[in-house]
Amino acid sequence: MGPERNMKTEIAFTLNGFPVSLSVSAHKRLLDVLRYDLGLTGTKEGCGEGECGACTVIVDGRAVNACLYPAPEVDGRRVVTIEGLMDPENELSVIQKTFVQSGAIQCGFCSPGMIMATKALLDENPDPTDEEIRAALLGNLCRCTGYVQIVEAVRLAAEKLEKRR
Amino acid sequence: MIGYTYQKPGSVAEAFRLKEDTPEALFVAGGTDLMVKIKNREVSPKALISLRSVAELQGIAVRGAVHIGAMTSISELIRNEVMREKYPVLVKAARRLGSRQIRNVATLGGNLCNCSPCADTATPLLVLEARALLQNHLGTREIPLVKLFKQPGETCLATDEILTQVLIPAFNATRKGSGVRTIFFKQGRVKMDLAVASLSVLLQTKGNRVKKARLAAGSVAPVPLRLTRVEDLLEGDNLSSSLIAEARRLAEESVKPITDIRSSGEYRRHIVGVFVKRALETLWARSET
Repeated sequence: MGPERNMKTEIAFTLNGFPVSLSVSAHKRLLDVLRYDLGLTGTKEGCGEGECGACTVIVDGRAVNACLYPAPEVDGRRVVTIEGLMDPENELSVIQKTFVQSGAIQCGFCSPGMIMATKALLDENPDPTDEEIRAALLGNLCRCTGYVQIVEAVRLAAEKLEKRR
Repeated sequence: MIGYTYQKPGSVAEAFRLKEDTPEALFVAGGTDLMVKIKNREVSPKALISLRSVAELQGIAVRGAVHIGAMTSISELIRNEVMREKYPVLVKAARRLGSRQIRNVATLGGNLCNCSPCADTATPLLVLEARALLQNHLGTREIPLVKLFKQPGETCLATDEILTQVLIPAFNATRKGSGVRTIFFKQGRVKMDLAVASLSVLLQTKGNRVKKARLAAGSVAPVPLRLTRVEDLLEGDNLSSSLIAEARRLAEESVKPITDIRSSGEYRRHIVGVFVKRALETLWARSET
């Protein structure tokens, strides 16, 4: 036996607007913490290697792959997952509704990641061109290959959000 | 059992102290490559020292040369106004690194220290004649960036040493009237992919005469490669179709590409030749306006 190591670490962060704190193994990924420690299974694991984007969440305003994000790094940060997009009346957000209405969801596995990547894009750039939409979603794979509807949904969601302003 | 300790020092000095206490620990930057290697059991660290929270390694400052902190994220690099205006070749290459999710977390220092022959930020920095600041608990040394790369996955860093800053000299900035122009090409199977081959070129001309030529190619040798023979051929000569054809031939001769899952060596060599021709023709046309 080697020297005793403290493999556990305390983390405290804001999750979908609420403070959470817990003790996790240092080698856990943010994805594990969300799905297994906190039970938020909306965030999906596809490849686990940062290729598919199914695990996309927003940390401090920026889209990241939760499968590559060490849990200890989330300490002190603001995390938003797909579960955090609903409004206070438990209604789906504009982006979510538009994805549903546009047929941008087929099997649905990529949808949480697509929607979080879309949210990060529209928060930063409310009126993206098709090229900018495709560039922002380059790290999100849809196995059903419904990309055309997805790009349309993002464009439509941008228009709807613009009208609300 | 899988498991490691994870420490987040707030300063370089603290990072070195932790490394002294735990010599087997690995330094980690954004972790977008290391996390994959850990998952696939290619690396099984006992301890990680994350440099992400070290404030002195963050950000971009202009003090004559541009100083880029090693923990500056790729996204931050792309958003920086000075970089966009003066060093567009680096910004172009950075935009082609991974996906937006990766770029938000991956760092310049991590991309370089991972020491992959296909590192997207390496070839633009080589043509910009960047220098690297390395530091350990004893002090700092400055080296030309090209010396950082030893072989795939292996830098010249000592185990207790970290890359702290990347310096880009002011004389290679793209400015009106300087005659400096740059270009970047990357070929992957799909848009978001590791490069099958990539090329950065910096050209400074006066009239038709080449004052300075810098070319660097990625994914065609064990490390990101300066094409010095091509540079020597071009410098002092007048741009012409025959000179460009000769440059292409020399470039194809200079590279040592391997065949792997992504491409045959033969195809990589061909692509580099095409890139050299296309780059020089494009930059030549730009000089005439």
